[in-house]
Amino acid sequence: MSQLKDPIREGLARGWKVMGGALAQAPDIIKCDVVIIGSGAGAGVTAELLAKAGLQVVIVEEGPLKSSSDFNQKESEAYPSLYQESAARKTEDKAINILQGRCVGGSTTVNWTSSFRTPGSTLKFWQERFGLGGYTTQALALYFAEVEQRLNITPWLVPPNENNDLLRKGAAKLGIPASAISRNVKGCWNLGSCGLGCPTNAKQSMLVTTIPAALDKGAQLLTETRAERFELANGRVTALLCRSLGAHGGSASGAVKIVARHYVLAGGAINSPAVLLRSQAPDPHGVLGARTFLHPVVMSSSVFAQKVEAWNGAPQTIYSDHFLETQAIDGPIGYKLEAPPLHPVIFASTVPGFGQGQHDLLKSFPYNHTLLALLRDGFHDESRGGQVKLRSDNSAVLDYPLTDYVMEGGRRALLSMMEIQFAAGAKQVLPLHEMAQPYTSWAQARDAVNALPMKPLLTKVVSAHVMGGCGLAGSERQGVTRPDGVHWQLENLSIHDGSLFPTSIGANPQLSVYGMVNRLAQGLAARLSGRSVTLA
Amino acid sequence: MQRRTLLKLGAASAAVLLVAGGAAALLQPGLAGGVLSPSGREVFSGVGRAVLDKTLPADEGARQIALNGLLGRIDVLVQALPHHAQGELSQLLALLASAAGRRALAGLNQPWHQASVADIQQSLQDMRLSGLALRQQAYGALHDITAGAYFSDPASWALLGYPGPMKI
Repeated sequence: MSQLKDPIREGLARGWKVMGGALAQAPDIIKCDVVIIGSGAGAGVTAELLAKAGLQVVIVEEGPLKSSSDFNQKESEAYPSLYQESAARKTEDKAINILQGRCVGGSTTVNWTSSFRTPGSTLKFWQERFGLGGYTTQALALYFAEVEQRLNITPWLVPPNENNDLLRKGAAKLGIPASAISRNVKGCWNLGSCGLGCPTNAKQSMLVTTIPAALDKGAQLLTETRAERFELANGRVTALLCRSLGAHGGSASGAVKIVARHYVLAGGAINSPAVLLRSQAPDPHGVLGARTFLHPVVMSSSVFAQKVEAWNGAPQTIYSDHFLETQAIDGPIGYKLEAPPLHPVIFASTVPGFGQGQHDLLKSFPYNHTLLALLRDGFHDESRGGQVKLRSDNSAVLDYPLTDYVMEGGRRALLSMMEIQFAAGAKQVLPLHEMAQPYTSWAQARDAVNALPMKPLLTKVVSAHVMGGCGLAGSERQGVTRPDGVHWQLENLSIHDGSLFPTSIGANPQLSVYGMVNRLAQGLAARLSGRSVTLA
Repeated sequence: MQRRTLLKLGAASAAVLLVAGGAAALLQPGLAGGVLSPSGREVFSGVGRAVLDKTLPADEGARQIALNGLLGRIDVLVQALPHHAQGELSQLLALLASAAGRRALAGLNQPWHQASVADIQQSLQDMRLSGLALRQQAYGALHDITAGAYFSDPASWALLGYPGPMKI
């Protein structure tokens, strides 16, 4: 256990109003000004701003409250306690594994800190295709600057670890531009364990920034409490019905009813649309839960002569947007390249095959360098994303068909990554596909990948970026949410999370959520309280 | 557990299910009380031997201890899965533990505990590259759970050359 200070335990000792789980039991009925569902990127920013405006805020989080004292950098504890479905959430056909947070702080507690403003090309597409004329780079710049200051988002000036430096070197040899990634950290120890919960509180997640700020201003937090559905009447939400969860989120017990003036849904894409589906919210144009995007990720694994130790040091500090910027946004699908960290469980379950071949790859772990490509989905007729649905037990599932258009982008991305890895000096390269073999030359790898059937379940596809499903649009025919963040049919409900995005972002989305929600929440605070507030 | 849930594993799997016997509800569940049942343990013992063949200790006694450790860690992993995922896994294991299901889904003639490593590896390879989504999905679940659970134990990290997290 860490010997460092734990701001969460200190806050609890100071008298924060936190209930649920092993803490005090929540009452049957709670009344407040605003209830916020979720505690991740959108919820955190909203909670701080509304609490600052003097509003009584209640935050409802399905996952547990864990903090630096609990974060021991072990996957065997982090995945079950901090991730949706124990880090094994899958799309309906099991072809894509989704990493999404489920704890106080949401995905910001477990993400890899990569911070990008929303690309201008993405915003331009939204202006032109979704009637979002107010979503310009210029209009959002102030709101991004405020959250960048609040969360200490700055360029990472420490030299990249070997894992990231190989991306830089390989790309440079091929004349492909690559740059440094900004990170939301303060006094980072360069441990490389961001994905398992930051044990030093260096990562400026919602867990250690906005949520504590809101709690210090008197907000209440209900942990291990699931938002089940809204009660609706006459175009308004009249109550939120929640349920306290047992230790493993399975056995449901106490019901909690929350009555508020205004409701903010920020449970993340997949879960936010699911709350509305369970509530049988009006959806006159059949757009709820549709256009859910994932940045489907394909990967290429490689082995170097020298040690890489991809678990060691800040993850994802170098990226290349070359394959996003060199083609039309609505042409063949583009992709962003990054170098993910590797830890034993995620590495071993990703290494394909079994027996001798698998054993050799497992033993290469310290020498392994993997690249990933985020495919920019949602900008083409053949990339309409997925649909959130409810299972018979009312849990959420995403049906995301991987179209040929997307998968052919996956093939091009595998080729690009393999070429970069060979240029950086890789001894062998293995694209993550069930029919691929380790290849020892670029020509051999290129010919093999050109012949692979790029099919779901054969090609390894993962995602850590879930977006859309409650899309913003300038007209109710095109989306669930108005440009000011309010639901088109429910006047006292706002949606403040990544489910707002009408396409994928084309970059790691956390800063896009922070920045856009910063603007929406300032507007909401002013409407509800008459006060003008900003993040500290 | 609903037969309906299993069907959701993939529409293309209907043929396999018919062959495997419409009486899925009569099969012994692969999970009991949130952990592997005896039939679930039998399937994962066989899969563990095949997937981790070169990774498990060569000595038979040590190999058995390592396999028992794997099954214990799979129990821990399974307990953390949501209800719907436990239900699907339980049904998958129930099918694979039945003679008809084992033949139809895995293409394995002998029971898991009698089959050779080579035979189970051949079955896994057939599932892996199958044209039927259900067989591919089954391979993915068996492979990922086995490999992930095995390396969740710090005692396994020496093989990976992983020193463990930095002390702070």
